[in-house]
Amino acid sequence: MLAKLDHVTKRYVKNEGLRDLTLDFPAGQVVGVLGLNGSGKSTMLKLLAGLLFPTSGHVSVFDGQPRSKRSNIVFLGERDALWPWMKPTDAERFMGNLYADFDRTRFNELLDALEVPRRKTKTMSKGERGRLRLAMALARDAKLYLLDEPLGGIDLISREKILSSIVQEWHTDETILLSTHEVAEAEGLFERVVYLRDGKLALDVSAESLREGGKSVVDTFREVLT
Amino acid sequence: MTEHDGWSLDMSSGPIFEQIAKNVHQMLARGALTPGDKLPSARELAARLSVNPNTIVHAYGQLEADGVIEKRRGLGTFVREDAPVTGMKHEMLHGAASAYAEESRQLDASIQEAIAALKEVWDAG
Repeated sequence: MLAKLDHVTKRYVKNEGLRDLTLDFPAGQVVGVLGLNGSGKSTMLKLLAGLLFPTSGHVSVFDGQPRSKRSNIVFLGERDALWPWMKPTDAERFMGNLYADFDRTRFNELLDALEVPRRKTKTMSKGERGRLRLAMALARDAKLYLLDEPLGGIDLISREKILSSIVQEWHTDETILLSTHEVAEAEGLFERVVYLRDGKLALDVSAESLREGGKSVVDTFREVLT
Repeated sequence: MTEHDGWSLDMSSGPIFEQIAKNVHQMLARGALTPGDKLPSARELAARLSVNPNTIVHAYGQLEADGVIEKRRGLGTFVREDAPVTGMKHEMLHGAASAYAEESRQLDASIQEAIAALKEVWDAG
C-alpha cells in the first residue's frame, strides 16, 4: 500500500478534524477527496503530507512516517504563499534548491502548457498564480501528490488547463489525492471517490461503478452529504 | 455534459468507458471516422476530455475486443480496415427506430401516421 490511514483521529483545540478514519491508497490511483467545508479534507491531506500529526491512530506512506518520506510526497496546499516579488524563474531556483527531484526542464514545459506569464507574482491574476503553483508541484518527481483545492477560486480557463496538465503529467504508478469543490469539472479524472462528512468517512466508492448505476459523482455528492 | 469535436460525455449517463466506445461507434456510423483513421492516444484524449487515461484505455480495449479498432505497434490506435461500418449505421438506426416504433404503438398510431410525423420533423430540420 502506498499510503494508509489507520483509525486516525485528529483533534484540534476546539473541534475534531478527523474521527477514526481508516483508508488505504494503493499506487496508481487518482482519488477525489470530496466533502463540504470543514469535513476534514485538508486535515487528511496534511496528515498524509506529514504536516500534521494524528491525535491517535497511524498515518503511513511507504510503510514509514510521512515526514521521513517527504522526497516521495508533493503537497499543494490551499494557501498561496508565493512571495510577491517572485517570478517563475525565482520559483524555479527556489524549488530546485529545496527538492532534488525538481525537474527544471519539466517546470518550463509546464509553464508553457499552463500559459503562465513570466512576470512577478504580484502582477498575476489568481488563476495565473494557481497555474504557477501547480507547475511547481507537478515538476517534482514523487509518488504521492496531495493537491488541496488546486481549482479553488480561479477562472474556468485556468481550471481546464490545470485539469488537463494533471492528466498529462500523471504516471500510472503515481497516486494523486485531489480535493475540490468543482466536482462536476473534475469527476472524470477520478477512479475512486472518498466522501467525508464531519471528519468521518461517508462513502468510499469507484467512480465508474457509481455511473454504472446511472449516477454521477456530483449526484452522489448531493445524496451522501446533504 | 462535455462536448469536444465529436466526443460527448454525460456523467449521469453511465460509465465513461461505455460512452467513449459509443462515441466511436457513432462517429463511424456517420462517417466522421473511417477505416484506417488514427484515433488520438489515450493520454491525449484523456487530457482533452479531462478524464482518467485508464478509462480511455478501458474503452479502447473494449473497441479492440469488438473488432472495431486495432493497435499498431509503435504507431498508435487505428480504426480497422474491416471495421463493420455499414452494419453499424444500420444497427444504430434500428435501435433508434425501434424506440420510436414502440412509442408510436403506445399512442395507437398507424405506421402511416408515424412515418408522416417523422417526415414532418425531418423536413423541419
